[in-house]
Amino acid sequence: MFKPIIVVVLLTPGLVAVGGVLAVSQPRSSSSQPTATREAWQKEFDDICSRTQDAMTFSKEELTSLISRCDALKPEIEKLDETRKKVYLERLRMCRGLYAYVLESKTKDDKK
Amino acid sequence: MHTCSSQKRKTTRNERERFRFVLLSAVFFLTASGPAQIYLPPPPPEQASDYGKVIIGKASSAAGPGPVVFDHWLHRAKFTCRLCHVDIGFAMQANATGITATSNHQGFHCGACHDGKRLIEGKTVFASCSDDTTSKDCSRCHSLGKKDVRKYTYQAFTAKLPKGLYGVDWMTAEGKGKIKPIDFLEGISIKRASMQTRPDFSIKAAVPWVHPIVFSHERHAIWNGCELCHPEIFPTAPKETVQDSMFLNTEGHYCGACHGKVAYPLNNCVRCHPLGPIWVR
Repeated sequence: MFKPIIVVVLLTPGLVAVGGVLAVSQPRSSSSQPTATREAWQKEFDDICSRTQDAMTFSKEELTSLISRCDALKPEIEKLDETRKKVYLERLRMCRGLYAYVLESKTKDDKK
Repeated sequence: MHTCSSQKRKTTRNERERFRFVLLSAVFFLTASGPAQIYLPPPPPEQASDYGKVIIGKASSAAGPGPVVFDHWLHRAKFTCRLCHVDIGFAMQANATGITATSNHQGFHCGACHDGKRLIEGKTVFASCSDDTTSKDCSRCHSLGKKDVRKYTYQAFTAKLPKGLYGVDWMTAEGKGKIKPIDFLEGISIKRASMQTRPDFSIKAAVPWVHPIVFSHERHAIWNGCELCHPEIFPTAPKETVQDSMFLNTEGHYCGACHGKVAYPLNNCVRCHPLGPIWVR
């Protein structure tokens, strides 16, 4: 009489545990994979260069800081394989160039 | 005899003076009207489909698949300039990017979209530089000098798009919602906030007989973002440098980096100088 209940009681935590392990070890969906595997340099790149649209609103200090971060990131990108190095160095150059341009414009405006 | 020779000398002197006057006048006239004489935009392409055409890999070996013909009209109907020239990293000059089959294979350059998996408007984009070198798809890009290898023809593809000088009027097409250029590519682009619109402003023309340029930051930003134009095309410089640039434009500098190559041409004067020359209004 009690045997099925005992079996169920014993099996349930076991099944839950197995299910949990499987859920953790299963590969992530393709959409979340790039984010999970994003390397540190790429996160930094994304963070710096995602702000170009707002460049005009930044203070001179903020722009200087972004330019410094670009300069610090460059050696990291130079370590990458040939293709990624070529692509991301060019992207970083454009991104840094814009911040430097806005900083220069703001400095010139202040002098007037 | 003496009188005759002195008269002759006088005549010669008068002629010399007249010649000097004419020469000086000519020099003065040419100098004054120099800008009008020199400014000659490039002639229109024989076919509208050739406007913005880029040949990539002209120097590629005969054994290979041959040079690529890149049509701006096909790609800019789908994507913003910024997406390709900033996020993907295509240079603004032909053959300056360093595109290779390897970089395409790795999902960069053409391979950023042409990977055989990516869906654009519900269609799978064919893979670039696949391992199968006998594939017909090779010739869809490596098509210089080949006939009937392209999937799309200019006439059919642009049939419903508004036309302007030298082909499609892209600004109107975008403004009227005929095209909705994509500005974000998953895995390539960085998520960013939409750009804050900046008001239009006017730029004084370099010559006194033309009304100022009305520049729309908004219209340009839709296509280009910020870093495509600044600082490479428009660096911080004394304003006069940019103002005095109609000649430089024709040589591909400043506005001429796009206008006259892929964007509406430089001889479409009123698109930039909406009030035209001063004697009109």
